[in-house]
Amino acid sequence: MTATRPPGRVSAHAGRAANKVTPRSRRGRRLAGATLAAFISPALVLFALFVLVPVLFAAYIAFFRWNGLGGMPTDFVGLDNFRTMLGDEVFLGDLWRIGLITVLSIVVQLPMAFGLAMLLHQKFPGRTAFRLLFFVPYILTEAVTAVLFRLIFSPRRGFADAFLAGLGFDGSVGWLSDRSIVMFVIFGILTWKFFGFHMILYLAGRQNIPEELYEAARVDGATGKQLFWHITVPLMGPTVRITVFLSVIGTVQLFDLVYVLTKGGPFHASESLAITMYEQGFVRNQIGYASALSIAMFLISLVFALIYQRYVLSRDTQGALTTTAGGRS
Amino acid sequence: MRKPLRRLRAALAAGAAATLALSAAACGDSGESDADVTFWHIQNEDPMKSTWAAMADEWAEDSGLTVETSAIAVEDFKTRLSTQTQAGDLPDLYNTWGGGVLAEQVEAGLVRDISGLECLDKVNPVALESYTIDGKLYAIPFDQGVVGFWYNKDLFAQAGITTLPATWDEFTADVQLLKDAGITPIALGGGDKWPVHYYWTYLVMRLAGLDGLEAGAEAGDFSDPAFVEAGQLLADLAAMEPFQEGFESATYGEADGEAAVMGEGLAAMELMGQWAPQVQRDASGTDGPGDALGFFPFPSVEGGPGTATEFLGGGGGFAAGADAPDEIEDFMCYLLEDENQARAVKDGNMSTVASNPAAVLPEPNAEQQAVIDAMATATDTQLYLDQAYPPAIGTTVNDASQGLILGELTPEEFVAMVNEAWAAEK
Repeated sequence: MTATRPPGRVSAHAGRAANKVTPRSRRGRRLAGATLAAFISPALVLFALFVLVPVLFAAYIAFFRWNGLGGMPTDFVGLDNFRTMLGDEVFLGDLWRIGLITVLSIVVQLPMAFGLAMLLHQKFPGRTAFRLLFFVPYILTEAVTAVLFRLIFSPRRGFADAFLAGLGFDGSVGWLSDRSIVMFVIFGILTWKFFGFHMILYLAGRQNIPEELYEAARVDGATGKQLFWHITVPLMGPTVRITVFLSVIGTVQLFDLVYVLTKGGPFHASESLAITMYEQGFVRNQIGYASALSIAMFLISLVFALIYQRYVLSRDTQGALTTTAGGRS
Repeated sequence: MRKPLRRLRAALAAGAAATLALSAAACGDSGESDADVTFWHIQNEDPMKSTWAAMADEWAEDSGLTVETSAIAVEDFKTRLSTQTQAGDLPDLYNTWGGGVLAEQVEAGLVRDISGLECLDKVNPVALESYTIDGKLYAIPFDQGVVGFWYNKDLFAQAGITTLPATWDEFTADVQLLKDAGITPIALGGGDKWPVHYYWTYLVMRLAGLDGLEAGAEAGDFSDPAFVEAGQLLADLAAMEPFQEGFESATYGEADGEAAVMGEGLAAMELMGQWAPQVQRDASGTDGPGDALGFFPFPSVEGGPGTATEFLGGGGGFAAGADAPDEIEDFMCYLLEDENQARAVKDGNMSTVASNPAAVLPEPNAEQQAVIDAMATATDTQLYLDQAYPPAIGTTVNDASQGLILGELTPEEFVAMVNEAWAAEK
């Protein structure tokens, strides 16, 4: 997120800070600048080498038809790849699925994590165990999670179907093989895996709200409901805004879990943007088109991040760089 | 003021050094092993996994070079190999199926020309065809065979099927008989897509004939009505719901996939290559159908020029990366020695590619005999389309085949999709 903060404001703060610390000679300041450069340069060079250059290179080859083999691309096709993309049903489906998972996350997954965090904030025996238990799925790698759920949702003999059979429902549900439900199954798995992470963030956010506020409100006769809506919810704002941000960016970049689980199938029904990009690039050897897709993915993430930072997160990030300990964190 | 300056210089130097070290580490090919020869194959189950490893070790001892052998499951292998191809750095010896995929690697200058290999007399020349590009040889074969229906004789008998289907109409009638008897007629790894493309390809081979298929590929245009008709027949078959539950997302080789379903006797047949009986046993962890397993060729289709003696087929071979040491040819010849071919054929249950089959496989088992017989009757063969064509086309055929049997594509849309891919390739 640091990368997308408006640069002007950052440098202004940094400059002022530097002034205060070293009000010495010009030479001293130049020295400080050089020190700064020395310490920043490794990170900067790496960032340029592994982020900027690949992004620019991808943007460049998105204008070519290229199979990625042998030297540099030569077959310039202008905007053809982007035109193909906008008419590509798989790509448009990817966008629709990103929207679906995002909406479901915000409407179902995050509120669930929020509620659970509020419950686990109460004092009761064994709450640490519960916190740990809910957080454990997040620790598993996505590939392992996917393999696990492939077994669970295996037709007939998998745990899910066997469980339903035990309850008297016959036949297989087709968890991963039915095009109309596979996305909801994937959403369920994503929820299982990530709600613990959001829960921990909410829990941390809740613990940062000073108890005095509640005490004061109670003295004034506020009800539990009022405490929740007028103290907890507003003061949890920054945390909620960050989790929504993380959730959306994570959805746009979804890959490992789905690839291992379904490879995006059946027939693209669960394909994510990253899987489309991978299939086009590394299975079909259409690196040019895959680059166009990656540029689309980059732009979606960037535009969302910028808008979100500007309009939603602006309150939270303001002055974040200059406030010291004791300030709002 | 000297001290801070020195400190600054030190910091600068340290920073620069760290930058260099980090970028060097990142640029260096960390995937490359220290061994002299890297060897990638796809027989990731015993006994064949150990047999390749043993041969590699033996040769390593003789030659004094080190060999690092990697056994990789076939889907993962394709993924890893395609990224290695993009990186321009192929293993020293690796599994290949020949065709368009190998041709693309050859064109990029990543494959060693082994036309001058000294031991080629050990191999049946027919088996070299898939690996010969513009008159030059790029791989040695270790297995060659055909795709056909492997069927469970017991289940066919239960359904009252007495004669094997010779035509498509008889075939679909038998599918109905099996369904009526409560037996799943066909096991299919629909999630992997390539097992589905065998059906479409065979139907095209029967309806358009091999000449028609070749003409279509040559022109990059599948608009001939026979291609649409083939799609229609496959769609009609899928509409009978002949496949096992969950075939849409089933893989070929996993424990609940196509091969395992056959191995456990839960479906009556599968359309698969010569490796099918072995994988049935491996994937299901059982002994498979055993003597109950039979083989029949893909039936002919009424009105089409193709005959049941024309086979879709192919096999496995080993190609050498362009950067491989010269000794790699020696390793290839070691693998082709009669004795070693015999080990591969026995442990891997492969069909033989030897110029003198009797020396390698004196007593074939029933499964091997079935493939040998089919190859003996074969009047012509076609390499799997997803290997024969450039990756963009082959993948589209696989993808469209899956879309077709799921009812997501019409036969016309199928053809349009493949034609579009051809057009983009030109």
